[in-house]
Amino acid sequence: MPPRLHPSTFSSAVTTCSSLRPQCVSQPARTCREFSQTPCQRVTKRRRMFYEWLNTTGAALKEPIPGSTNYLGAYDKFGNLIRASPGWSRKRKDDQPKVEEPASTTDQPGGQEIEDELEISVRRSEQRKVKNKDDENELPPETAEDLRPFPMNKYFRSQPVLSEELREAIYQRVKQDGATVALASVEFGVSNERVGAVVRLKQMEKEWIAQGKVLAIPYSKAVLAMVPTTPYVDPSKPENKYQRPITHEAINDLIVHPATRQQLFVPVAESREFTRVDAGKAFDNGLLPADDRIPHPELVLAEKEIAMGLSLQERTSRALQRMDEEAQRKRRKEDKIKAELMSLKTVPKRRWDFVFKDVSVDAVGRDGRDYRGVGWRYGMPHEDRKRGQVKIPRRIEA
Amino acid sequence: MVVRIRLARFGKKHAPFYNIVVAHARTARNSRPLEVLGTYNPLPQPPRPGDTHGRPWKDIKLDISRARYWIGVGAQPSDTAWRLLAMIGILQPKFRVGQVQNQVIRADTAAKSLIPEPTAETLESVKA
Repeated sequence: MPPRLHPSTFSSAVTTCSSLRPQCVSQPARTCREFSQTPCQRVTKRRRMFYEWLNTTGAALKEPIPGSTNYLGAYDKFGNLIRASPGWSRKRKDDQPKVEEPASTTDQPGGQEIEDELEISVRRSEQRKVKNKDDENELPPETAEDLRPFPMNKYFRSQPVLSEELREAIYQRVKQDGATVALASVEFGVSNERVGAVVRLKQMEKEWIAQGKVLAIPYSKAVLAMVPTTPYVDPSKPENKYQRPITHEAINDLIVHPATRQQLFVPVAESREFTRVDAGKAFDNGLLPADDRIPHPELVLAEKEIAMGLSLQERTSRALQRMDEEAQRKRRKEDKIKAELMSLKTVPKRRWDFVFKDVSVDAVGRDGRDYRGVGWRYGMPHEDRKRGQVKIPRRIEA
Repeated sequence: MVVRIRLARFGKKHAPFYNIVVAHARTARNSRPLEVLGTYNPLPQPPRPGDTHGRPWKDIKLDISRARYWIGVGAQPSDTAWRLLAMIGILQPKFRVGQVQNQVIRADTAAKSLIPEPTAETLESVKA
C-alpha cells in the first residue's frame, strides 16, 4: 500500500522519498478524504523513522552488492556496511577488477622449489590477505555477524549452500570418474547424503536439458547470488595448486541412534575388557558400535593404520585394495540391475510399452502366503489404514 | 466347467491393479482362483530414471510357462487376457491387429520427430 502522504503539506518528506516512491507525488493534493472521519495525517515519529530507514539502510539493501549477501544484519542503522573499511564506497566498484588483474598475476612466487609446497600455499594466502588489507576498496568476506538475515534473532545464521560449480564438480567426480559417494564426500567435504542428492538432481537436470525442457536458470542464479555459497576450488587451475578444498560441512558426525538416548549403567567386572562394540550391545543387541555407524568408517581405519605404524606404501596399497573391492561391489550391483532389465520382455504398443517379467507361480509357497509370491493376496486384510503404516515414499528412484 | 484365464480387480478406487488368474468361469471375480499366474498394473509408469527419451510403460508380471500350460489344457482367456497373452506370442493376436501395428509405427515416428536435434550447447552441457 502506498503511504498516504500529502505533498502540499509535507514537502520535506516527499522530496526525500520521491526517488523511492513516485506515487507520493502523483497523489492529488487533498488534506483529507471527504468521507473520512479520521483526523488529518500528520508527520508522526514512526513515519519519519520509516523514511529515514528507507533512505539509509533501505537504499543500501535495494541494490545488492555483487558477490555478497544482502542481509539486514550486515548494515548498521545509518546504512553503513559494518564489515567494510571506512574508505570503502560501492561506486568505485566498477573499475575495481581492471586494477586487480595485473596485481594478482605479478605476486606469483617464482624459483622456490626448495620450499615445501604447503608452505608456498600458506604464504600465498598470506600475501593475498596483506594485499586485501592494502587495498582499501576491497570488501572483506562476510563474518558470522553479517550472515544474520533477521536482526531480532541473533542466533539464526544463514548457512552456505553448494555453489553451482561445486555441484557440477561433484557430479563429474561421481558419474564420469566413477568415484564412490563416500570418496567424493571426503574429497569435497560434503556429507554423503548431500553428495547423493547432488548427483540425483544433476542427473535430472541433464535429462531435462536433453529433453529440451526449459530450466529456471535466472531464478537459480538470482537465489544463489543472494545466499552464501561454498565455492569450488578447482585443483586443475595453476593458482589453486596445493590448495585444499573448502569444507562445506562436517562429514563424519555420528547420528544419535534412538536406542542410545537413554542413560545406562552397566556393571562390568574390572577384569573384563569392555570395548565400544560391547557398549553398542549394551544399548541394543542389534546396535553396531559407533565406529561402524559413522558415515566414514574408512577414515577411522586409515587413522588406525597410521597409529599401527604402517609405512606409507603399505597404507596406500591397503587403501587401493579397499577401493578396488568397493568398485567391484558397485560393478556387480550394476551388472545385476542390467541383467534384470535385459531379462524383461518389452512389447511396444501405441502409447506405452508393455513390460513383461517372467515370474514363478510356485513362489507363493504351499499355503499361498509367502512374501516372495506374485499377486494380490487372498484372505489377507489390508493394513494400509492401520496405525503406524508409512505411506510417504521412503526410496527415491534415481 | 470352463476354466478361464481372466483378470481379477484389486487395488483401490482410481488405482486399479489386476491379478491374472486361472479360475472356473462361474466363480466370483475376486474369489480364490485355481492359480494366480501374475499381475497386471494398468497405470502407465513414467520412464525409468536415466532413460531420457524413454516411453511410459505398463508393468506385467506373468509366469509364461504356466500360462502356456493352461492354454494347452484348454483354458479360455478373456478378451483382455487374450490381448496380454498375444503380446508375448502365447496366442495369435485377435484384436485390431493391423490397425494397432500401424498405429505403433506412426507413434514411433512421431515420437522420434518430436525429440529435438541436439544443438552444440545441449551436447556440451550433457557432456559436462
